[in-house]
Amino acid sequence: MAALRWGRGAAGLSRALRSPGRPCTTTKEGILDGLWGPRLNSSASPCEQERRKDWGHVELLEVLEARVRQLQAESVSEVTVKRVEVARVPADGGKAGGTAPPAKARVQPSGAWARKLERDRQLLQRQQALLKEEARGRSPLPAPRPKPSVKAEAKAKGRPKPEAMGKAVARSAAALEGKAKHSAGCVLPPTEPQPESQQYGWMGLEPQQGTWEHREWERLQPWETSLLPCLPPAASPPPGSGSSAQASSELRAKEKAQQNRLQTFLEGCLATGQVGLAHHMLVCYFTRPRRQRLLVPAMFNTVMRGWAQEGSYKELVSVLIMMRHLGFAPDLLSYTSILQCMGRVDQDVTTIRRCLQQMARDGLQLEQLFSEESLSPEERAALLRAVLKAKPNFRLPQPCPQVSPVELLQEVYAKDGPVSYPRLHLPLAELQALFRQQLHVELAGSMPVESVEKVSPTQEILQARKNLAALRKTWEAELHSQLRATKANLAQRSRRGTVTLYPFLCVLPEEELVQILLQVLFSLPAQGEPFVHTAHRVALQTFQRHILRQRSCRGHLQALEQRYAKYLRLLASDTQVAEPCLPRQHWEALGPPEPPPPQPWPLLELLLLGKLLLETLVQVTRLPASLASQPTAGHSVPVLFHVYTFRGVRQIGLLRPHPAFVRLVEDSKASTLTFEATDMPMLCPPLPWSSSQAGGFLLSPTKLMRSIGGSQQHQQRLESCPPAQLHGALDALTQLGNCAWRVNGRLLDLVLEVFLDKGCARLGVPPPVSEAPRPPLDQLAPDTQPHLKAQLRQEVARCLKVAREMHGLRQEALYRLSLAQHLRDRVFWLPHNMDFRGRTYPCPPHFNHLGSDLARALLEFAQGRPLGPRGLDWLKIHLVNLTGLKKREPLHARLAFADAMMDDILDSAERPMTGRKWWMEADDPWQTLACCMEVARAVQSPDPAAYVSHLPVHQDGSCNGLQHYAALGRDSVGAASVNLASSDVPQDVYSGVAAQVEVFRAQDAQKGVKVAQVLEGFIGRKVVKQTVMTVVYGVTLYGGRLQIEKRLRELPTFPQVFVWEASRYLVHLVFKSLREMFSGTRTIQHWLTQSARLISQAGSAVEWVTPLGIPIIQPYHRESKLVIRGGLQSVTWNSSVDSSQQPNTLKQKNGFPPNFIHSLDSCHMMLTALHCYRKGLTFVSVHDCFWTHACDVSIMNEVCREQFVRLHSQPILEDLAAFLERRFCREDEDGAQAQGDTGHSAKLLEMLRAVPQKGDFDLQQVKGSTYFFS
Amino acid sequence: MWGPATVLPSRLTLSVLPGAGRFCFWRFGAAMRKDLAVPRRGLSSSCPQPLRHRELKQLSHQRYNRLYVGKSISSPKLAATVAEILQLEEKARHEVIMECSPGRGILTKALLETGASVIALESQKNFIPHLKSLDEKRNGKLKVVHCDFFKMDPSNCNTVKPPIMLSQELFPTLGIKANSWLEDTPFKIVGMFPINNEIKALWKLLHDLYTCSSIFSYGRVEVYMFISENQFEKLIAGPTKPELYHVLSVLWQLSCEMKLLLQKVPLSLFEMYTRDGLLVQKTPVKPQNQCFIQMIPRKDLFTEYLTPINYDIFFHMMKQCFGRRSALLIQHLHSLTPCDPLTIMNKAKIKASVKPSDIYPQDFKRLFKAIECSSDDDSKWLYDRVTEEVRC
Repeated sequence: MAALRWGRGAAGLSRALRSPGRPCTTTKEGILDGLWGPRLNSSASPCEQERRKDWGHVELLEVLEARVRQLQAESVSEVTVKRVEVARVPADGGKAGGTAPPAKARVQPSGAWARKLERDRQLLQRQQALLKEEARGRSPLPAPRPKPSVKAEAKAKGRPKPEAMGKAVARSAAALEGKAKHSAGCVLPPTEPQPESQQYGWMGLEPQQGTWEHREWERLQPWETSLLPCLPPAASPPPGSGSSAQASSELRAKEKAQQNRLQTFLEGCLATGQVGLAHHMLVCYFTRPRRQRLLVPAMFNTVMRGWAQEGSYKELVSVLIMMRHLGFAPDLLSYTSILQCMGRVDQDVTTIRRCLQQMARDGLQLEQLFSEESLSPEERAALLRAVLKAKPNFRLPQPCPQVSPVELLQEVYAKDGPVSYPRLHLPLAELQALFRQQLHVELAGSMPVESVEKVSPTQEILQARKNLAALRKTWEAELHSQLRATKANLAQRSRRGTVTLYPFLCVLPEEELVQILLQVLFSLPAQGEPFVHTAHRVALQTFQRHILRQRSCRGHLQALEQRYAKYLRLLASDTQVAEPCLPRQHWEALGPPEPPPPQPWPLLELLLLGKLLLETLVQVTRLPASLASQPTAGHSVPVLFHVYTFRGVRQIGLLRPHPAFVRLVEDSKASTLTFEATDMPMLCPPLPWSSSQAGGFLLSPTKLMRSIGGSQQHQQRLESCPPAQLHGALDALTQLGNCAWRVNGRLLDLVLEVFLDKGCARLGVPPPVSEAPRPPLDQLAPDTQPHLKAQLRQEVARCLKVAREMHGLRQEALYRLSLAQHLRDRVFWLPHNMDFRGRTYPCPPHFNHLGSDLARALLEFAQGRPLGPRGLDWLKIHLVNLTGLKKREPLHARLAFADAMMDDILDSAERPMTGRKWWMEADDPWQTLACCMEVARAVQSPDPAAYVSHLPVHQDGSCNGLQHYAALGRDSVGAASVNLASSDVPQDVYSGVAAQVEVFRAQDAQKGVKVAQVLEGFIGRKVVKQTVMTVVYGVTLYGGRLQIEKRLRELPTFPQVFVWEASRYLVHLVFKSLREMFSGTRTIQHWLTQSARLISQAGSAVEWVTPLGIPIIQPYHRESKLVIRGGLQSVTWNSSVDSSQQPNTLKQKNGFPPNFIHSLDSCHMMLTALHCYRKGLTFVSVHDCFWTHACDVSIMNEVCREQFVRLHSQPILEDLAAFLERRFCREDEDGAQAQGDTGHSAKLLEMLRAVPQKGDFDLQQVKGSTYFFS
Repeated sequence: MWGPATVLPSRLTLSVLPGAGRFCFWRFGAAMRKDLAVPRRGLSSSCPQPLRHRELKQLSHQRYNRLYVGKSISSPKLAATVAEILQLEEKARHEVIMECSPGRGILTKALLETGASVIALESQKNFIPHLKSLDEKRNGKLKVVHCDFFKMDPSNCNTVKPPIMLSQELFPTLGIKANSWLEDTPFKIVGMFPINNEIKALWKLLHDLYTCSSIFSYGRVEVYMFISENQFEKLIAGPTKPELYHVLSVLWQLSCEMKLLLQKVPLSLFEMYTRDGLLVQKTPVKPQNQCFIQMIPRKDLFTEYLTPINYDIFFHMMKQCFGRRSALLIQHLHSLTPCDPLTIMNKAKIKASVKPSDIYPQDFKRLFKAIECSSDDDSKWLYDRVTEEVRC
């Protein structure tokens, strides 16, 4: 019962009652020392609660023992009082018996919570009594059996008597012993009674207790008996327990969900500092046998950790006792918490020592404690304090700098050789100032940015703004009070022992929740947004803000600033570091790794929270009838409507704002746009990536690998692989993020000019919606024929759709340009991360170098470099490349073309909008224009070689996917056609394929195939290009046919009746030609596909490790459904990434080849990046398009080719096969697999061992190929 | 960055971008993506059938049923009866009758014998030579076309190849002229609903009817169909049979005059054939009696308020109303229009406490009218045409 009382104390109620003037002194403790029963009993009184710290003086051992005795005494005495004979009670000498609670004395006047606790307690007692009774009925032992031991204990005054215990065990429960120990999770064999009783003694659980428990378990179903004690801490599925388990599998799924919810609840409580509530909830579960089954060690660990953080030793012990009571052995996390708490309360040496001994007996190493990553530095310090007290000689295990085990990276991390890592062009002081700016932005969470679309406020606009502001204020107040009411309601329900959303609502103050909700309201599109997605978004945003709040505590910010300042010394232009190293290495040397951010809340919790918040929003926000232009409609109308759209048998619920509200927002013409801090580029160099969760933004959590739809599997893979293995990816991403950017101001001015003046679709500047076509509804005659009206309807829908698209594009451009305008004259950085295949992306979504021609043209390197001897030539070649005019000419011809066109180039640069507008005809007009300007400035400068250029020059891989395939299969013909072999002129694979197709067609035409004859003269590069390009990315015959059909329809002279037949015929020819030219490619693709099919059919998702060591797993699974009923609508969340589902074979097999190739091209990019970095180059990439300064293009080209050769010199396919074999074919060892399964495995093994043969292409030729990347 | 790794598939980006940067529209809906990825032919898929027990059972047999694509009359007696019914009026002797999926041509023969001109639309190639042979002595009274009636005029026009055809290309070659909606019926169509997806076909016909497109662009074509008894009961159900009353009942009853011509025709009088045109010996898993019904589009279907321009809103309204049957009509109205529901219901003279299954089709039409009249601008509906029509 003490657990309960402590729980109540923990709940903070008694603490409120505590009077500071009455400390319970140690002397009092000493006096009470001999009187265990009464003292414990009195622990319920407010007086006893006063000095919790004093409990620290009591030895752990004694506490535990006393607790056990009390437990037994209470239960027994209860039994005896009610059942056996009243006379027994005094026999306990007022010690244990005294604990039998007169209800009157127990009830504390401390509110509903206490009363509730009291009820629980009584319930427990009743249940225990019942249990005893049953036990008596069944067991040969007499009911009052525990009594003698209680007496003995009482005499022993807290000292265990091992021998006696041992004998007692041997005598009374020898038969049950083995099982009991099994159920209690004990590891010691029964033949050693002494250590065993010691173990129990230390934990305060005697063997009798164990057997008693065992009986309790016996009462339960057999499967439960085996299930519960065996549940491992990580809540992984319990070992199979036969048919009974199968029968109740549904129940278990339900229970599992309940367990997860409870665990999340407890963690949520911890995160919001409500350990008391967590404890209370735990006790609520603990005291009800039906719920008790759901408890797992992880829950106890969670609560214990909470108490440890608060330094509440007594409460922690009570949790430990509960845990022991259920037969769970403390694990590493438990010990971490115990010791941490001991460190905080300054526990005496002997107790700590005993704890350490017990830990050693449990087979846990001291060093392991410190390897726990989730500990904060502060917790670590407390832990260390405790350990040092017991073992003054203990030294923290020093992490030795690890070297990447990946062979390809040896050179990158080699200590010798010339290294000249690039530095930024900014001095330290400026960078530090930038850091503070960025910190400010991130602390604010969101950032208002002035819109480039300016309007002069008219009377109407001002009125609308005023109305909106007034409404907003009303809603804020109402939302605030509504949220508060909801919170109070939930808190009450939580106190009654129901798992609710209460802790999640508590993570943010109401004001912030209100702001998030209102932002959602104002950003809802006029046509509505699916409810599920909005709910998910709101909840995710809440979580993000929550982490941000946690991180923005003072200590953390200070530590971060100090460490960052030291880190900047590596990058700044005016500082020195001892030896050159990579940013990550430098960062790691500056301190211990930071604890990873907490796991995101489970989907169920997220959706529930989002739903709750949105429902509050829908309920609260109302529009006055005067604004809604509905005089008939009473006082007010709702702002948000819940509507449905129908798609097949599915209904999709949408939230849609009231048209009047949309109009009001439009009328107010907001002059600022609000961006989340994570949607903006950073104002200082990003944090270097040091682990899979640390890096990028300063405070906002950023993941190394993006997850699709909330999949966790990638994160798990990354975390479980040795840290050094990820170094390549971490360093490459850090470097990509460290590139400083600035806005090309002149170009921005020009773009803005076009943008504000009706846009221009040709140049990629979207026109405003006012330019959209209007539906011809006005000229509708009253007697129009119905079928004409139907046509009109289609026209209306089309116009609407076009307008909507235009609106979307316009908004996107508006965001981009506003951000560009905001960042003009500043230096900024784009932190990078990667997708699940290793391809890299900048994190800020709206303004980055990955976008369209317009987006790319707006950006240039902040750091300039003199052009040098060849830089100008490269600029010119780049210019010609951008125009797309001379794709198939050699470099010198392109250069000559540029020189010939110099007049036009200069004209474009000087009079872009008024001159001859040569640049507008280019493939990428804006980039061309930017390049024209750069060329013009360089040419006009006195010494072009000294001209400092900021413009990135691109080098593009020609059909990069095929390049990798060709290299993998060493296809001579294919390699030559994708420029792997050196050649004087660039080869064009599309023309090559077209020519091959033409050959086949001619043959067929001669044979008299009609389609082939019809197609004469129509087969060109353009027809086949898209199909060839996408074939590496897994386009099928079906998709290919559609592509070709589209091209054929574009040909004006082609007889359209043949389109279907011709496209079907052509796609076969294209595939046939590709097979012919890239014989290796098709074989490899086939091999990959078939392997993936077999793996997937065996029930696993395909996994592999890239040559750079990045673990990859394909997140394609059968759909799983999460349904939450009730409320505004039932929410159904379909997810195809749930790894507990069977894999989706079709997607797994079709996805494997392209994903594998993507993982290879990302490896190539990263290798190139790392080597370029070593040579001091600025390097960024857009997948297979590499950017650097004009002066460095030659070096980059060299590195790029070298690394391609090195990458493909590895036995990539062999390694892959070996990995897959290790991972998926293990039936030889088990030998116990089903018959059919073994056959399947054998097939897979056979497939994996048949690695495709290679051709005879000499890879070294790549080094001499000019047009490999050009 | 917890966002998705990949943005939208390119084809969706534009049409569903609700505002710049709001890429989340379909982001997580794996199911929706799947839904969108399937190219849909016809409009029939937009049926929001609440899956009832009976239909669930049918679904489980679907794979088996897929074998039976066509059915046609195999009993000459039945064929003669049908021919007789079709030629009720002597004056209509010169009329054109279009027969879908005649199969071996038992009915065709019977029709020809009554002297009518017949156009046979057969989707199975291998029946065509035999059908053509029927015409030999009839001097051009029979025209045979390789065409699938229920797949005519698909919504996406890229897959048009026989047997899928466009009516605007086919009918002029057959010499059929369009009548206006208010004129007499131009021709009759006789056939059988495909046995495994009657609902799909019913929806497709409805869309064609309410938009006056496809065959109905030639006027109020009379449709004579064999339909399963169950389905027919549902079609003619009203508030008196609330358990059968559903969206299709309302829409069909509003648009057509329906008449039961033959009742309880056993399925054994028909023959089934597979996709390859092979006759199926065994009867399908669930033999059901068939009804022969007549459906004539109403002249007064379209009013000032319900037109082919806004029929989709009406469809949407019906789907919404029958989506959750237990809810009151007034609750559904909250999801349909921003106007005050009570005012609307008063205007339509509908009691406030009714459920959707309590009122007649005409009441729904009135309700629709009431909302349509409620205001001049387009903010009277919460329906969004574009979101509804996002298709591949």
